[in-house]
Amino acid sequence: MDLKIAFRNVFRNRRRTALSLAVIVVGTAIFLLTLSFIGETLESSRTAVVCETGAVQVADPRLFEDRTKGYDYLISPALRDRTVAMVAERPGVTGTGWRLDFAGLVGTENGSTLLLARGVTTCSCVENYDCFAIEGGALPADDSRQVLLGRALAAKLGVRIGDSVNVATGTASGNFNAATVTVAGTLTYSTEAVEKQLGLFSVQFAQRLLKTDGVARILIGLRDPETAEEFAAALERDFNESGIPLAVRTWRELSPSYTSLETFYTAFSGLAGVAVFVLVFFSVFEILTISFLERTREVGTVRAFGSSRGRVFRGFLLEGAAIGVLGAALGIAVGALVTVAFNAIGFTSTPPGGAVPLALRLSLSANIVLVPFLTVVFATLASSMYPAWKNSRLGVVQALQSV
Amino acid sequence: MGSQSQFCHVRGNRFLDAQHLTKTYRVGGETVYALRDVTWSALQGDFVVINGPSGSGKTTFLNLISVIDRPSSGEVFIEGEPTSAKSEGQLAHLRKTKIGLVFQSFNLIPVLSTEENVEYPLLLQKRPRPERAARVEAMLREVGLTDFARRRPNELSGGQRQRVAIARALVTGPMIVLADEPTANLDSKTGETVMDLMRRLNEEHCVTFIVVTHDPAVSRYARRRVRIHDGQLEEGEPDGVATPAS
Repeated sequence: MDLKIAFRNVFRNRRRTALSLAVIVVGTAIFLLTLSFIGETLESSRTAVVCETGAVQVADPRLFEDRTKGYDYLISPALRDRTVAMVAERPGVTGTGWRLDFAGLVGTENGSTLLLARGVTTCSCVENYDCFAIEGGALPADDSRQVLLGRALAAKLGVRIGDSVNVATGTASGNFNAATVTVAGTLTYSTEAVEKQLGLFSVQFAQRLLKTDGVARILIGLRDPETAEEFAAALERDFNESGIPLAVRTWRELSPSYTSLETFYTAFSGLAGVAVFVLVFFSVFEILTISFLERTREVGTVRAFGSSRGRVFRGFLLEGAAIGVLGAALGIAVGALVTVAFNAIGFTSTPPGGAVPLALRLSLSANIVLVPFLTVVFATLASSMYPAWKNSRLGVVQALQSV
Repeated sequence: MGSQSQFCHVRGNRFLDAQHLTKTYRVGGETVYALRDVTWSALQGDFVVINGPSGSGKTTFLNLISVIDRPSSGEVFIEGEPTSAKSEGQLAHLRKTKIGLVFQSFNLIPVLSTEENVEYPLLLQKRPRPERAARVEAMLREVGLTDFARRRPNELSGGQRQRVAIARALVTGPMIVLADEPTANLDSKTGETVMDLMRRLNEEHCVTFIVVTHDPAVSRYARRRVRIHDGQLEEGEPDGVATPAS
């Protein structure tokens, strides 16, 4: 009966209830959309980071700590194979690959420019080149002389797919080496500055050019990148026990910008949550206070019939909760509809310094729905607390005398 | 109501005792006496009408004997038990189990139907659903509102609302029903019907009725007539007892 009374009271003054619900719906929907935008941004950033770095990387500690001399950090084939075998035994691994990066020059007869080259394992299932939106062919899994150039770099050099460019760099032993390679395709990168210098080769070609059989990093793919910390800690323990002199880093550690982004968005979503809580709390507080005070005589009546203060208090709280749950559910529905519509329209935006426009999307998940729902229900419940308490504490006679 | 006898075998047992009741209020730094050293008792089966002009202390007296208010001094005994030392919860329990109330403005809960309003005090008593349903049905039959069970208060006339209020007051089988100006918001014909009903229920169920009114027409229903003037109470003779219309 108390629940029945609470629900019926919600619809007693429809205009007032509509006003409360409007505030709650708007607050919930705004918070939901904020969280879904943040969720999608973080998710796509994470995907981009993980597909470029792998979920976990293994390398000589000097490489991670930026205190190398020449190529003294390279991992030998024997150590690489031993490490890869150890990694493969661990659960959750989707694949391994390795990389050999180098800097050099790339040019044509018309001029040359700086090259930041990556020698990558082309079929490792770890690095996902779809992230780089390749135009043209993929790299072969051998040491053939082919390169994928950054789109901006190709434009700068005035070359197209099928053209030849010259690549020059220092070898692992410090000598000079150069080769002529064919442009197999072009790729885009999130930042234009990198795209102007980026070239991808097969790791076999990079080894051939650098005259080494070593690799710089071993990349590990995980089924769930969120387990990277746990995986890295266990792998590091294995390395220590087996005497493998390599260090382990997670994708988060390798991408401080992601951590900054995550911290910023976490703080932002927290602030948005507080703002929505305050908005709902004060708006609904005002409305519920009036609504509860209007029923003071009813409180007197039920108290006169022997209802306890606690029961009266609970009744008002139930009413607050009913408005909160109803408003939050409607808000979630509105937010979800806006999300679907937004994604269907397909907005894009080029970030500052970005090379390509990115699709702006909103995502929905259980967490994204639950957080605004609970925030708003809690805010409504909190806002009904004081007027409910105040009304339940009134003396019976005082309450009955209320007009 | 079904469990109560059709005849009042226990009429005359002292149920309610008010001893030296005084109620004062502070108004603008001065002490105002609403009730002054009132000693009075009600017997089971009584039908008492309390008269008095506005501001004489009638409602204050009713509030004190219905234990919804506490006296400044003095004591209210219910079935011989003092009430002044009881907690709010204990007083609420006393009202829930022994006292029925009827208000001038009916005070029905607008969001509940007739039957739900009548059921409400039984819910407070945590009675099981089948018992609640049976009692509500019997009570609505008693006050002639069976056909209006699903109606909300705003769909009822004033007289019907007051009958719902009477049914609500009686549904728990209280020892005493206290009615504050039950006919004040009704026309004279409807007021008469309501008073007839109360009187009949008093006769049939041996429930003590204490009716506060300034309506002289109500006085003729009194078995006992009491007058309050300037916070003091004097027992009077009934005008002549009206029998309920059949």
